[in-house]
Amino acid sequence: MTVLAPTESPRQRPAPDRKPSRRRPARRMSPLLVAFVLVPFAVESIWVFWPALQGFYFSLTRWDGLEPPQFIGLDNYAEMAGDSVFRGALLNTVIWLLLFGGLSVVGGFGMALLLQKERRGIGFYRAALFTPVVFSLVVTGLVWRVFYQPDGLADQVLRTIGLEHLIRPWLADPQTALYAVILPALWRQIGYVMVLYLAGLKAIDPALHEAARVDGANGWQRLWNVTVPQLRGVNAVVLSVIVIDSLRSFDIVWALTRGGPYHSSELLSTYMYSTAFQSLRLGYGSAIAVVIFGLALAVILGYLVRAFRED
Amino acid sequence: MSDFDPGRRRFLGHLGLAGLGALGMGGLVGCASSASTSSGGGGSDGPVAVQSNLSSPQAKAAMEKIIETFNKQGKGSATLNTIAAETYRTQLPTYLTSANPPDLYTWYAGSVADDYASKGLLLDVSDVWQGLADYPEALRTISTDASGKQVFVPMTNYWWGFFYRKSNFARWNVQEPKNWTDFVALCQTLKGKGIPPIGIGLGDTPWVASAWFDYLNIRINGAPFHRELLAGKQRFDDPKVKAVFTRWREVLPYFDPKGKAYPFQEATAALLAGKTGMFLIGTFFADAAPKDALGDLDFFRFPIIDPAVPVAEEGPTDGFFASAKTGNPTGTKALLSHLASVEAQEEYIRHSSGIVLPANPKAKAADSPLVAKGKAMLESAQELTQFFNRDSSDALQPTADTALTKFMDKPDQIDAILREWQAGAEKVFKG
Repeated sequence: MTVLAPTESPRQRPAPDRKPSRRRPARRMSPLLVAFVLVPFAVESIWVFWPALQGFYFSLTRWDGLEPPQFIGLDNYAEMAGDSVFRGALLNTVIWLLLFGGLSVVGGFGMALLLQKERRGIGFYRAALFTPVVFSLVVTGLVWRVFYQPDGLADQVLRTIGLEHLIRPWLADPQTALYAVILPALWRQIGYVMVLYLAGLKAIDPALHEAARVDGANGWQRLWNVTVPQLRGVNAVVLSVIVIDSLRSFDIVWALTRGGPYHSSELLSTYMYSTAFQSLRLGYGSAIAVVIFGLALAVILGYLVRAFRED
Repeated sequence: MSDFDPGRRRFLGHLGLAGLGALGMGGLVGCASSASTSSGGGGSDGPVAVQSNLSSPQAKAAMEKIIETFNKQGKGSATLNTIAAETYRTQLPTYLTSANPPDLYTWYAGSVADDYASKGLLLDVSDVWQGLADYPEALRTISTDASGKQVFVPMTNYWWGFFYRKSNFARWNVQEPKNWTDFVALCQTLKGKGIPPIGIGLGDTPWVASAWFDYLNIRINGAPFHRELLAGKQRFDDPKVKAVFTRWREVLPYFDPKGKAYPFQEATAALLAGKTGMFLIGTFFADAAPKDALGDLDFFRFPIIDPAVPVAEEGPTDGFFASAKTGNPTGTKALLSHLASVEAQEEYIRHSSGIVLPANPKAKAADSPLVAKGKAMLESAQELTQFFNRDSSDALQPTADTALTKFMDKPDQIDAILREWQAGAEKVFKG
């Protein structure tokens, strides 16, 4: 690969038998630049690519982490097909993707629209909404646990407004556990999505809005026909972030319910963790990890392909 | 010894685990397969490397003292490496299987030690046991692996029981029950006074429910059946296991309904505040109790259900085992002998915060009526069990957590729950 040959100094370059071409400057990569590519690549290979490949291999084995892995073909995947806990976790992950993903986009975009105009004190509101992003998720988990605990703030609020009959052990009731966990996750994510959309909104040329206004478009029309189409680039980023965040959502669930009670708030990520590191079935855990990887890839590729086609 | 407790390790550790979520899929395996550890043991003459999960401040200080004393005696030298409990739990297999492992480890007696021994990872410490002739037979049994050699040296144990406040029992005008009928009657009385009779904390610590399962099973079916069940030699969908839940159902209405939402530490607070009547728990719960409440605490043993079944008690035992690959077996065994000595164990008892009993029968336990009563109870028991995860494995514990919390929520579905439990257990045993 001459392109990457770092030892060749530019001086030696104009070889007599080669015609100088326009592309030449691109071929003369500085050794520093090459290092910037190769070093991270090498590090990634060791810490990311190789373990990921190993993960695929481990998903075909039975392994307790102590004795050498034992190759069992696709048995783990066959088991997964008949595993009701896995199915529940998959369903919960889809619910999570739709609810957490959908609501954080709607909420984040809504907040960005509300807070985009520069006004006195607007910075305070933006900061207030962004604050949850700053807290460590473990702290978030602890705070919300206090909120949900028996006779905690949630129960007190319900009692004050006369809805005592709704009170239940929020995190310990299989009916409510998953939704009770989605709420703090949303509380956190909305601020983050808001910032992404704020940046996008700032980048829209005000002249477009002016022109639309001159043409007699009302607020809704301007939103749908000017703002939204201009945000396509941001949407792609937000979607990728949301999908990845949904599929790797683990911390908040683990901190609040640990997938319980009896798997009712289990996500694929928590199930992967508990099978691998609590039940010490690392082969099966790896197989679940492969499924998560596949899901993330499918959703993101699916979107990107569509986005490119539209362009 | 409270610091060893599985659930608390889990509870604290899981706070730290949040970070693992970010590891993603590649990280899963990358983490699990990293077989190297920096804390390898020394050469044949180097100091004995001790890997300890006793990370609470008092326990850590106590261990440091004991190692210091050992180093001064001149029989060898040792270094102590204390690791956060949850990290320790997940890393222990890695330590043991690494090429240059640390020499000595804190861990549990019984099935968990035997499991490592069966894979050839533990040092035969039968020589050390020759010096421990006065240790009780029960401790020797749980320190012996399937092939008949000793692989474990116990340091302390603790007991489980129904804890209550003496002043509250006096105020409610009730006494300790002697058998199951008394117990149910006591529950009825307390409920009649508007007190939730039985406290429990399953919110973050669902494993606490396993104590109920263990005790009902050893009271109804006996300790040998219990051990066989936990070793995979009996089935969870056996009618004998179902009988356990039939009994349990009799007292389900007396459980504190809030108990499923909060962890055992809060259940402790509820008990101390008189919001629940009694609480089946191990002595480690007292760590979270204010000192002035300790004098007011008392306990009674899990009520006898079938007088024909020999009485067994849960007496989880903590101590040490050594790596088979240690470069310094002589030094390691010298240190083990020291750890088994009266002097070292009394030193540990003096410094540790919980209510624990020394394993050495000659070592003096802490001087309190509660400790004396606990000691007497364990000594009078015909059999000792450890605890669900210690008699089986950490890997089986999640299956129990799921089955038992579900049962407490939906007792009608017991047949389906037991079928699922058996299926889950089979997967764990299969690997």
